[in-house]
Amino acid sequence: MAKIIGGIGTSHVPSIGVALDKGLDGTPDWKPFFDGYIPGKEWMREAKPDIAVVIFNDHGNTFFLDRVPTFAVGVAESYTPVDEGWGARQIPTFEGAAELSWHFVDRLVEKHFDPLVCREIEVDHGLQVPMELFFGRPEHWPVKIVPIWVNTIQYPIPTPQRCWEMGKVLREAIESFPGDDRVVIMGTGGLSHQLQGSRAGFINREADEAWLDGIANDYEKYRGMSREDYVEQFGSEGAELIMWLVMRAAMDPKVELKHRHYYAPASLTGAGMVVLENAA
Amino acid sequence: MSDAAMQIPETPLFDRARSIKGYKLNKMAMDLGRPENREAFKADENAYLDRYGLSDEEKAAVNARDWHEMVRLGGNLFFILKISAIDPTPMTRIGAAQAGMDHDDFLKQRLGKH
Repeated sequence: MAKIIGGIGTSHVPSIGVALDKGLDGTPDWKPFFDGYIPGKEWMREAKPDIAVVIFNDHGNTFFLDRVPTFAVGVAESYTPVDEGWGARQIPTFEGAAELSWHFVDRLVEKHFDPLVCREIEVDHGLQVPMELFFGRPEHWPVKIVPIWVNTIQYPIPTPQRCWEMGKVLREAIESFPGDDRVVIMGTGGLSHQLQGSRAGFINREADEAWLDGIANDYEKYRGMSREDYVEQFGSEGAELIMWLVMRAAMDPKVELKHRHYYAPASLTGAGMVVLENAA
Repeated sequence: MSDAAMQIPETPLFDRARSIKGYKLNKMAMDLGRPENREAFKADENAYLDRYGLSDEEKAAVNARDWHEMVRLGGNLFFILKISAIDPTPMTRIGAAQAGMDHDDFLKQRLGKH
């Protein structure tokens, strides 16, 4: 059966992609941010995953308000970058792990989840940026992907508890998937930021640091928090952090925190990552 | 959940009321994800906005690139950001406008830049 080889939590700020496009990653503003990802990239290279499951939200690029899926799963053979207003970014097409996607969809529905199942769909920076942060800019991506979209834009967004439960199903789906694929799970979004209203520019460094420390083995409090708590602590857009819970729930109760990085601000956002492995 | 349960200071959540109110404005902005619509916007902004039936108030907010006002009218930042790709506006300036702050003050006080 397939095996979960690690869990990643990471920001997916669009300006990270812009910095890479413009070659700004070595500038004083950006170098400390990108340097902190080097150990994560090295971990990924050594871990040699075959498939990356990426949990992210669309940012009004692929889904409009005419139809808003709370959860959506891609089952496509391939995914191209969507035009976010600047023209589609020139990065390689993502190859889909369609068999695992369908298997996950089967399991979700058996467990009483009702996902939107997407056969033809583009992906925005929410998926692109985490892939670039951990795999660089290869000619071809070294992994196939399973994209999972979570609505974090229009309320009601799903509860943190529901995200957690979906992570449990994800684990079960991977571990019952025939073959010997090595799977890494990437929960993305955050950390603290707010882009709208007069609290715009809100960054909560203390809460971000605590999250990065706690998501490994002190996660119960985050699991139990309400959506209001997330918005209050991490800002309206920082509530994206609920998507890390999908990843965390798919890992063992006890994990090893292999790498951790925090930098603020990346654009208007507290940014960073963790790399987790199931404790031996 | 009720709107009352989600009243956090200075934080407009994109709830039912805002989504309904801002639908046309957001749809107009969403469509700027297509190059032909960006060209139409650049060629004759008000003619493009009229296609979506925007009110005079909404059109004025877009014309003025008044980010605070667009959000007040139900615009969601992720959609209206596409307007900032037409005549590039840095995200920090949009943030400062939301906060009602001078750009330098915003960078220092909110983002901790020196």
